[in-house]
Amino acid sequence: MGNFLIWLFVALVSAVSLLAALAHAPENAASLLNALGRATAIVGLAMLLLAAALSARVPGFDRWFGGLTRLWKTHHRLGAGSLVLLLAHPLLLALSSSGEGVDAAVALLFPPFAEWEIWSGWLALLLMMVFLAPSFAFFGHPDYRRWKLLHRLAGPAVILALVHAWQYGRTLPADADKWLWLVLAALSVGAVAWRFVFSRRIGRLRYRVAHVIAVANNLVELVLEPAGRRRLKYDAGQFVYMAPFDRELSAGYGEEHPYTLSSSPDEDVLRIAIKDLGDASRAIQTIRPGSRVTIEGPYGRFFPDREPAKQLWIAGGIGITPFLGRARHLLARNRSVDIHLVYCVQDEARARFLDELRAIAERMEGFEVIPHFFYRKGPLDEDFLNDHVPGLVERDAFICGPPGLNALARRLLIGAGIGRKRIHTEEFELL
Amino acid sequence: MKKLVYTVFIAFWASITTLVIVNALAPAPITDDERTVARPDAPASYSLAEVAQHDTLEDCWMVIEGVVYDLSDYVPRHPAPPRVLEPWCGREATEGMRTKGDSSDHSARAWRMLERYRLGPLVEAERGSGRGKGA
Repeated sequence: MGNFLIWLFVALVSAVSLLAALAHAPENAASLLNALGRATAIVGLAMLLLAAALSARVPGFDRWFGGLTRLWKTHHRLGAGSLVLLLAHPLLLALSSSGEGVDAAVALLFPPFAEWEIWSGWLALLLMMVFLAPSFAFFGHPDYRRWKLLHRLAGPAVILALVHAWQYGRTLPADADKWLWLVLAALSVGAVAWRFVFSRRIGRLRYRVAHVIAVANNLVELVLEPAGRRRLKYDAGQFVYMAPFDRELSAGYGEEHPYTLSSSPDEDVLRIAIKDLGDASRAIQTIRPGSRVTIEGPYGRFFPDREPAKQLWIAGGIGITPFLGRARHLLARNRSVDIHLVYCVQDEARARFLDELRAIAERMEGFEVIPHFFYRKGPLDEDFLNDHVPGLVERDAFICGPPGLNALARRLLIGAGIGRKRIHTEEFELL
Repeated sequence: MKKLVYTVFIAFWASITTLVIVNALAPAPITDDERTVARPDAPASYSLAEVAQHDTLEDCWMVIEGVVYDLSDYVPRHPAPPRVLEPWCGREATEGMRTKGDSSDHSARAWRMLERYRLGPLVEAERGSGRGKGA
């Protein structure tokens, strides 16, 4: 819903600015390029500001966008579109004046410094290239911390871009440019203010590490008890951003990372299963009980409010965590269910929590756990699903795993005749 | 999508570099074949009062070295921002043309381009009133 509205707005701005830029019928290629150069600027900046406005990460707000992962995707796409359009903008304008000579084109791109409006635009564009380089892996897979740090350059970039646009805004009729920039700038300032001021004061809940359970040599489950007055209210399978404050950690002190909750909302404590996938998550394997952490959330809406009667869960590796939380919750509520969980892992040794899931299956009627071992069966296929999951096509499917498995499972289920709307996926990959 | 954005990023710098290199290597020869032919129905000359009626960015006449130009079509494509250009519309603008605000003259090509927008001379009696300011 939210995503749809965002793209509808982008389409609207595109149509209006194209019409306005082409208001005087272009007499030749030069004036057409000029018009396109202005339109790309308006749409590009609008997308940049929308992306900024979506970066707030207000808990609950993401539900309008089908969960935070989807919201991030929209944010990511807006950023991509904005960079592409804003790169095209100076080129189109330069090309439009190149009929008067290459020197005219170059003079337009690199005017005297007295014309600071142009240079402000240039600086904004250069900053965009810098802070978006990791997001689009220009120079290889980025380091999470450097990426987050560089992304803060978005602030100055947006301000410089607005200064540039404010001075030139004359394409849309009746100062509509300025109103557009005012409204979108207000939204993005609000978003940034929430993110960096209010969310730190009121959005982050204080918890303390009560136990650290070593599930395997590269996987711990943290048990967190409230250390402040407020507790997190959440649904099973949602995720949070957690920042640990243990001085002994070798990496990631005070750094927030997204983790799925594996506890039932009925429990007094929060549980978070963390596999060592990076520097910070490796360091956290050794966090000491008693350490302070902050929790911000909850985010995501993997499981819909109205629960389908027959379900198929497909988990891949550490993607088991939302299902673990959900299964624990259903058991705690003593619900009768019809759920088949296909748990895809490399081999038995890596089937974390399998024993607990089997124990839950024994106590909870209608809950089946079906492990799928890659080393024995190869990639998941339709035959395996048909053999092990009765009434496959009648089920709503929930998939959580690495992107490869998500894509494969999706394809198999669509092939088996399950409608796209009944296939729900949750991805860990945030870039 | 990563590939697309990266491709555009590279294409952008390739284009900018090409423009800059072509410009550096090929100084444009100056020719005189771009002068416009005076319109037959145009008046022989224009007064400052007439010019002053065209003082907006949408309808922008300027007097430069005793000649009146209708730059309305060109203003949207001029590299300088509107705030720089607007004050010169509807008046004597030789200073702006000669100094660009920081005492550097416009290029020969720019002067030649200007001829495309020529309307006609300023009336004799008013000529020279604004000349020499920045020269």
